Amino acid sequence: MWVLVAERADFADSIHGYTGLVKRIVFRNEYDGSRQLPLNTKPLWLRGGLRKAGFVVTATENAIPSYRLLALWSTPSSTCLRGEYKSKKEIPTEKYFHESSFHYHYDGRFANETLPESEVIPHLSALVQTYFSTMNAIGAETWIMHGTLLAWWWNQKIFPWDNDLDVQISEPTIHFLADYYNMTEHHFDLPNVDGGRAYMLEINPNYVVKSEQDTMNKIDARWIDMSSGLFIDITAVRKDESKRLNGHPEALSCKDKHHYEESDIFPLRDSTFEGIPVKIPYAYTWLLEEEYGPKALTRTTFSGHTFNDETKIWESAK
Amino acid sequence: MMPRDPDTQGVQSDADDDFELSGSPPSYAAHRSQSRPLIHSARNAWQTRPGGSYNPVSRSLEDTKSPRWIEMIRSVVSAPRFRRYVLICLSLFLVGWVSWRMLLYPRLQERSSLLHSLDPSTKTEAGGWFGSNVMPQFDDIVQIRKLDPELVPTSSAGVEAESSSRKRLIFVGDVHGCKAELEALLDKVSFKPNSGDHLIFTGDLINKGPDSTGVVDLARGYSASCVRGNHEDRILLIRKELVKTNTLATSDDYEESHLSSGEARERALARSLSDEQAVWLSNCPVILDIGSVPGMGPVVVVHAGLVPGVELEKQDPSSVMTMRTMDLDTHVPSPKKKGMNWAKLFDKHQSVIYSTLESSTEDPLSGTMTVVYGHDASSSLSIRPYTKGLDSGCLKGGKLTALVVEDGGKQNIVQVKCKNRLKD
Repeated sequence: MWVLVAERADFADSIHGYTGLVKRIVFRNEYDGSRQLPLNTKPLWLRGGLRKAGFVVTATENAIPSYRLLALWSTPSSTCLRGEYKSKKEIPTEKYFHESSFHYHYDGRFANETLPESEVIPHLSALVQTYFSTMNAIGAETWIMHGTLLAWWWNQKIFPWDNDLDVQISEPTIHFLADYYNMTEHHFDLPNVDGGRAYMLEINPNYVVKSEQDTMNKIDARWIDMSSGLFIDITAVRKDESKRLNGHPEALSCKDKHHYEESDIFPLRDSTFEGIPVKIPYAYTWLLEEEYGPKALTRTTFSGHTFNDETKIWESAK
Repeated sequence: MMPRDPDTQGVQSDADDDFELSGSPPSYAAHRSQSRPLIHSARNAWQTRPGGSYNPVSRSLEDTKSPRWIEMIRSVVSAPRFRRYVLICLSLFLVGWVSWRMLLYPRLQERSSLLHSLDPSTKTEAGGWFGSNVMPQFDDIVQIRKLDPELVPTSSAGVEAESSSRKRLIFVGDVHGCKAELEALLDKVSFKPNSGDHLIFTGDLINKGPDSTGVVDLARGYSASCVRGNHEDRILLIRKELVKTNTLATSDDYEESHLSSGEARERALARSLSDEQAVWLSNCPVILDIGSVPGMGPVVVVHAGLVPGVELEKQDPSSVMTMRTMDLDTHVPSPKKKGMNWAKLFDKHQSVIYSTLESSTEDPLSGTMTVVYGHDASSSLSIRPYTKGLDSGCLKGGKLTALVVEDGGKQNIVQVKCKNRLKD
């Protein structure tokens, strides 16, 4: 017999002065006490605390309250995995992940304002380090992509003008993470950060349908810095069944409409980014050339910065 | 009597009568004067033809004005010699135009675009050239290795007499596991491993063909040199992952059902490699520096290509193993087939270097670099002064190619025919 229980963790955000409880609901086996996260469930953000009676609490969207409870999970109507929606009506009309009103690269649940400019890169660096060390530890296959891969290509460091990071995961990984690690918090003691930081892995429940028609939910998961609201966008790379049926046996696709060949991404390479081990897609140069054009690999001035040929650092032109 | 055509038959019969009457041979004049005047056979039918819009004035003007020059032109044109000349001129023009359009013009265009591409001003225009980034390091990939100078042929061809010190380098293109063809090729070049012959593979020894591990063992047995091809790269990365996840020995059902056929085949090959074979392959560098070869100057071996003007240490390994073409503005290499062949640009770059050194240095060849490579079966055997493309598509039934360099710098291309291994 599995029972639904709330797990409680004291939560105090010293930076922004928030205090509260972060909870997650897990199934607990009555007999041996083993735990399992409910599959494919969606957390609702709650105001006013968790009511014990059946966890029925009104959910609000702009929940940046003194209490930020991560509490109730609602299971999606269909848990079966599908490639396409059966009708237009089924396509989600709402975004699962909300960006904050003050900046599209911050999660409004965890911040009211952007970080001071000098703080952004250290936070992003910690974000990518904690993400990869967590994924390495749990054995989840993930690699950097898009702008983050381009930054890696130049000097294996985050672009100084960046404020987001992009990683991809494979199809089995998104299922694995959704099944066992959704809404988990990961606390890290970081050098020069008092009390360390907590990070949360949140899976978009719409990941179960891989349709590109769902334009509201292109991002399959996020690794969120709970101290600042900064996050890493995680997209799953899946088999493109319809293309595979049409003579492209290696076709892959993402919900953000990027298409790849299996042999361009796999096998992954080992490299380092921001000083930590990361995975890189196999044909990195070619993927970057295709996505950004050849000039992105050669232009030494970009976004008010110049690539110093001696120090190999992007320096502000100011 | 049958009704006769008045114009011909009638005249003829009258003449016959006349001949009988006079008894003398008929002259034309006599014939005409005594026959029925031709005017009698003229008809004015044209005047009564319906719809006939005849304009006598303008027609008569032209008729009276031009006959002379028209006649002249007509006679000149109809003269056989003139016709011959016109024909010759036309065909000469045509040949000239076609060869300009199809051969000369594209060549000049290509030459000028290559020179423009290598011009430093292009670098400024494009905002930079490929190779200014911090080259990513991959700890499992050896970037450069130097060939033992002892193995390189010497400049004096005279030592042929004492065969004990004879040296040959035998560069072999993409084998892809075609062991039988490799053995045939070694036979054909009378390969003698113990008397100065050294084998160098341009990568892609393995995968796709019938006996990858056999080829690796053969190469190891002869202490051959090699470079890392894209197929070695893939298989070794896959194998490393299998070792890491402890799945080298067994394959699980999940894997079987989820992999595409290509990936499943690559995994099977990765599993079939022994540890020793894998170690030998992973020691193949991305770039093998042969050193200076007589008659060639400095030579390097890579699998796919090099970006001109970028130091060997800073060549992007992924590109070195996969490039086919190159962007002319930025020198960004690409694996796609459409575009400027990287080797043309590289070869032009070297010949420009040679010609600038020619006046100032005694040995301008030492300032150049010659690349021996494989990978590009689509452009087949492709020999230029500074680039030697040896992949002639053995796997798909083409040929397996060896470039043999002897003492004194003599170069030979030796090929054997291959069985098409992609058919089945």
